[in-house]
Amino acid sequence: MQLVFIDYAVIAVYFLFVVTIGYVLKKKIKTGNDFLMSNKSIPLWITSLAFISANLGAQEVLGMAANGAKYGLYTVHFYWLGAALAMIFLGVFMMPFYYGSKARSVPEYLALRYDEKTRGFNAFSFAAMTIFSSGVSLYALAMLMNVILGWNFDFSIWMAAGIVLVYTYLGGLTSAVYNEVLQFFLIVLGIAPLVYLGLDKAGGIEGILHNVDNAKLHMWKGMASAETNPMGVDAFSLVFGLGFVLAFGYWCTDFLVVQRAMISKNLNAAQRTPIIASIPKILMPAIVILPGIIILALQKTSVGFNLPVNANGETDYNMVLPTLLTNLYPNGILGVGITALIASFMSGMAGNVTAFNTVFTFDIYQAYIKKEATEKHYLMVGKATTVVGIILSIATAYVAKGYNSIMDLLQLVFGFVNAPLFATFLLGMFWKRTTANGAFFGLLSGTVGAALAHGLTTAEGKGGWIMNLHTYYSGTSHAFNIAWIAFVICFIVTVLVSLFTKPKPENSLVGLVYSLTPKQNDKAKVWYKNPLVLGVIVLITTLILNIIFY
Amino acid sequence: MKKLFDLRFVIGLFFAVVGLLLIIYHFAVSTKQLDHHSINFYSGIIYLLFGLVMIIVSYKNKLSDS
Repeated sequence: MQLVFIDYAVIAVYFLFVVTIGYVLKKKIKTGNDFLMSNKSIPLWITSLAFISANLGAQEVLGMAANGAKYGLYTVHFYWLGAALAMIFLGVFMMPFYYGSKARSVPEYLALRYDEKTRGFNAFSFAAMTIFSSGVSLYALAMLMNVILGWNFDFSIWMAAGIVLVYTYLGGLTSAVYNEVLQFFLIVLGIAPLVYLGLDKAGGIEGILHNVDNAKLHMWKGMASAETNPMGVDAFSLVFGLGFVLAFGYWCTDFLVVQRAMISKNLNAAQRTPIIASIPKILMPAIVILPGIIILALQKTSVGFNLPVNANGETDYNMVLPTLLTNLYPNGILGVGITALIASFMSGMAGNVTAFNTVFTFDIYQAYIKKEATEKHYLMVGKATTVVGIILSIATAYVAKGYNSIMDLLQLVFGFVNAPLFATFLLGMFWKRTTANGAFFGLLSGTVGAALAHGLTTAEGKGGWIMNLHTYYSGTSHAFNIAWIAFVICFIVTVLVSLFTKPKPENSLVGLVYSLTPKQNDKAKVWYKNPLVLGVIVLITTLILNIIFY
Repeated sequence: MKKLFDLRFVIGLFFAVVGLLLIIYHFAVSTKQLDHHSINFYSGIIYLLFGLVMIIVSYKNKLSDS
């Protein structure tokens, strides 16, 4: 695919805006708090859009289109089952503790609720994971630009990293958040014409219904058994593994997304952030999943839509969106589509880097290296960490290029660390008896449990490195099952250890645990300012969508 | 300069510029040999309108923000 002047002009305008945002915001940054926490002053509509946008990185955009082609409408479970409920739960039940406790990060909440070792465990694993994700994002960007545009790999890496460095170094978290919102509109407005053109070419909804395998046009119909749906999962592991453990673990405890709500102006705005974000979130499948279903119809009716094969000889589903872009978009709008992809890669990277510098500065540097220092000092550390974070991301991207298998392994390990995390938070927030040792050893056993579950079972030829006790129908099913097993182990061990260890005194848990925190009086508020009312409306809408597309 | 602090204004300006670029390109360069040659024009119009609405909103809300 050849870009022409107009496409480069659109890309250049985007880069100009991105760097200008950083430059303008630089004037507002005076303390470490401004740089790393946006001084808790970001308006609600921005925090809400940044909240879903932080998750709308390129892996999500390319990956969900890929899943759309692989699993059809079943992919929507990641949104209507996996995200909506968890986002509402975060807003209604968990946000009061994150925001109300005055913690500046998720690991800091763990330090207040439990102790330093639980915080350290979470801070170090989270910091490593953000660098890993940021590096993988950078690698994927460079690979994609190389494949579809023929750009030089090194050029793409250094250009993207350089621009992200400029705007995050200058404007800190605010700059990253502003760019996430710009990227949100770019993705939606840049991909929507593609969905329109694709649908048009495929013969509209009728054409889709006629040309796509009916099994891929339902959400629940084949869920009775793993063999009867394209995702290869059973209803239990879907609902408990994805809908509960993985979704709540991600949306309610991952600091990258939670941070977007924590920088709101007040508690009410912080609570409404994820709930308002869930409204565009439940509509996102039209932009990110539908292209994957459209391409299935186009493969039958037109030429040029077959997906390329990767090095292992498998169909490369990640190329769904790039294939559609290059086949359907003429120059001009093609520049917008490519910019949307670049934007999602860069803001995915920026989101990780800004979460990394906050956690490193507050939870590693301030907690273990230098406790008492001036605001100016922490601003300097935050800025230095940004540079270090970007350099480490570049290094990670090159490692990913050379050693794909190391990256797969790391991804697996991070999965093990994340799977049980939600149990630790759930017990910590809703059971005052949970002790610090209970949480720490629960988390540790959950992680080990996840690794063991992976080692003792297989799916699609992966796992089972100890021995094979059970074979799952698909890799997706494997991941969902490992998640709930890790959660259950963490939950049980945390409860057992807590019962035999001494809990923290109740007065030190006020504001951190549900039963010990004074309830807020929401009665005076109008309905659209009440998180619970908003949450129920979103839930009912999601339920109706599930029924329509069952 | 102060206006640049307002994200609505920044996003509005960005889409207005991109919209204008697409519209100008549509009229300046013939892409009629392609299937979807008018998509640049229609998308450009939508981006421009969206951009202008965001800019207007940023001016309207200036008072309530301060």
